[in-house]
Amino acid sequence: MRKNNRWMMLALILTLAMILGACGSNNTGNTSANAPAQATDPAGDAGSGNADTGDATAAPGGVDTSKEVKLKMIFVGPKPVDYDLVFAEINKKLKEKINATLEGEFLDWSDWAQKYPLKLAADEDFDLIYSANWAGYNDQALKGGFLELTDELLSAYAPETMKAMSDVSWDQAKVNGKLYMVPQNRGESVEKLILYREDLRKKYNLPEINSPEAYANYLKTIAENEKGIAPFTPETGDWKYHNLDRVLLKQQNEWNMFDLDLPFAFKLTDEKGQVFNVYETQEFKDLLVYYKDLADNNAWSKNVLNSKNDHQADFKAGKTASITHNNGTLGALMALMRQENSPYEVALADINQGKKKSVAISTQNGTSIHATSKNIERSLMLIDLMQNDKELHDLMMYGVSGVHYEPVGDDKYKALDKNPNYTGFSNWNFNSPLNRDNEAFPQEASDLAKGWEANVYHYKLETFVFDNSKVKTEIANVGNVMLRYAIPLEYGVIDDIDKGLADLNKQLGAAGLDKIQAELQSQIDAFLANQ
Amino acid sequence: MKRHTFWNDLRNYRVLLLMLAPAVLFYILFAYVPMAGIVIAFKRYDYAGGIFGSAWNGLDNFRFFFESGDAWRVTRNTALYNIAFIVVNNALQIFAAIMLFEVGGKWFRKITQSALFLPYFISWVVVGAIAYNLLNYDIGTVNAVLRGLGLEAIDIYNTPAYWPYILVLVSAWKGLGYGTVMYLAAITSIDTEMYEAAEIDGANIFQRIRKVTIPNLYPTIIILVLLAVGNIFRGDFGMFYNMIGNNGLLFSATDVIDTFVFRSLITSNDIGMSAAAGVFQSVLGFATIMTVNYAVRKYDKDRALF
Repeated sequence: MRKNNRWMMLALILTLAMILGACGSNNTGNTSANAPAQATDPAGDAGSGNADTGDATAAPGGVDTSKEVKLKMIFVGPKPVDYDLVFAEINKKLKEKINATLEGEFLDWSDWAQKYPLKLAADEDFDLIYSANWAGYNDQALKGGFLELTDELLSAYAPETMKAMSDVSWDQAKVNGKLYMVPQNRGESVEKLILYREDLRKKYNLPEINSPEAYANYLKTIAENEKGIAPFTPETGDWKYHNLDRVLLKQQNEWNMFDLDLPFAFKLTDEKGQVFNVYETQEFKDLLVYYKDLADNNAWSKNVLNSKNDHQADFKAGKTASITHNNGTLGALMALMRQENSPYEVALADINQGKKKSVAISTQNGTSIHATSKNIERSLMLIDLMQNDKELHDLMMYGVSGVHYEPVGDDKYKALDKNPNYTGFSNWNFNSPLNRDNEAFPQEASDLAKGWEANVYHYKLETFVFDNSKVKTEIANVGNVMLRYAIPLEYGVIDDIDKGLADLNKQLGAAGLDKIQAELQSQIDAFLANQ
Repeated sequence: MKRHTFWNDLRNYRVLLLMLAPAVLFYILFAYVPMAGIVIAFKRYDYAGGIFGSAWNGLDNFRFFFESGDAWRVTRNTALYNIAFIVVNNALQIFAAIMLFEVGGKWFRKITQSALFLPYFISWVVVGAIAYNLLNYDIGTVNAVLRGLGLEAIDIYNTPAYWPYILVLVSAWKGLGYGTVMYLAAITSIDTEMYEAAEIDGANIFQRIRKVTIPNLYPTIIILVLLAVGNIFRGDFGMFYNMIGNNGLLFSATDVIDTFVFRSLITSNDIGMSAAAGVFQSVLGFATIMTVNYAVRKYDKDRALF
């Protein structure tokens, strides 16, 4: 028996070795076969690219498109129901214009954050990808996921975009002086507003909600009188700030933050761009008192940190009495509720009127080209068309005319019943001056946006991008501390504010906050000195 | 007598070897080949270079974990939770298996077994949602019952002290059916003659369980525990993340290595740093299993894994 066993083991090991050996040689065979192919391909492309550039400069529009190509683009958000219908139309036009077809791949909202970096890290085969500052644009660009877009490439293959886009937009999209995306070509406000229930405000005879105090009063009144309605519901996600901080900390104090994963801000009006730790300011301390008072009065669920409720769905269903988001999103929600004859009367509140607003930087939405794309020219031409060709732009943004929308004049549209079948994913990277507005978009939201435009404050650091590669370790640890210590503090579940704040700052110090701050400040100083 | 040659063995055991092949292949493809990727932990990963072409950066990737000040806490939590899971789950599973074996007719046994097995198939996301609806302060079932009885509601989600118990309980509930079936199979394979002999000797049911069933289960128990011990430094991410989420207040009691690393790196997406944490876990796991196996060998040579 013993002896038999030993022989069995030997047999097993030998089989193992054989299989391993086979695997190994297979692998090497594969890689060696693939490597030259991969190596020659970009070279070939670059070669033809150069030749094409020569052609294009000699005769604009004379790019060789005789060979049909299939382009693949990665979007975030769920695949729209009518994807086949709309993309068939898009492809008909694309085939005609640049002899190419486009296939979309969609990363659902539930797990895009995990999948998105993997698509790049695994070097999957695709040409274009939706990119955005909130989707790690800087980081992915620094890691080499995106192709650098040079002026030559752009002027050869995206001439219309070159003409239409402002220099500021291009500059904002540069990482360490290099461009990796074609940003959207339409300003968008990122400032947050509050959407609340006007019918409830009237019911309790509350004054107009135009200040943080009036808002707190509204929340407390709802908490006291409306059982079963959560006064405020935050957006779920890995946020490292209170959902209202963008309104009550950033807008209220006229600050700006570089990165919502870091506790640094600077004053908009500060010419020197001096950054400071948000948590060490008196303003933050005062806000904690404000939040604590709200939490103690049940302005949000005691277990808000574990809730996974979708705040917009809850608001629509009348389960919560206020939420916060940007103007576009809230306006769209209002339009939808009115269209569906919701029993609730809703309204927008700007609780820090007259404060300086900053406009979204262009990298809020954009399109990048995969570093290993084999169809660089056609990809750029596609972006050019999507942003500047009325027909294709309409198709991409609003779907099929007569099915999903009905054009109203040149710059508005009316949503038809099937509209929800083609929406909800990231086509915003193709935003451009050709955009149509939803006819049903609430007037008050448009008015607010217009009013803000007058208050938009342009500051020197608008185009500054932080290169965090030297302080990654510290950033990981600081982010963790923010989640663990700051979030519970802000949502008022820690009883002793002073102690909580002291703990937070102590932990941040240990996590290496000072090192990040020094690095950030030195980059800012260098940036400002260069201007 | 036939000589033992490699080819003879190969032929004689071809059916067994064939049956073994898928498992061997699986481990080669998904455990041994990817092991080369361990180098990522020592590299500054960039997309152009990929796994093998990126630049080396020594132990830089390990800095984040050990400089966080939380390394000890999360490592301890992970190990303690897993020890609790192993002890409680195995004890309950053995208990349930013996009960099922001793009690009831065929139908009762089958139905109970299926009912116990059901939670195993519920995903942690759903379990997390169920737990939230049971335990939350405002509308949770538990607190509704407490209020109905005129008692004070308890704020479970803001009190770290409850969580070790809740997590052990949920883990036991979810794993019960799976383990029970395994132990039940082991019990069924015990030679019935032993039970008959015990009965003739006048042993009652408890004596039978103590003297026959349990000693015969030792090999199974030891193998299952040994296998579980190897993963003692890996937190069950699905469980901890879906039950606790981003509730920082509970982290002191519930943070395990996996959730900690996920949270730290989800925004920076640094593959090298997360690989470093994985290497740390693997090295600890390897050391543990070697030690435990050595201890078992010392005690009883035949029962060790290797």
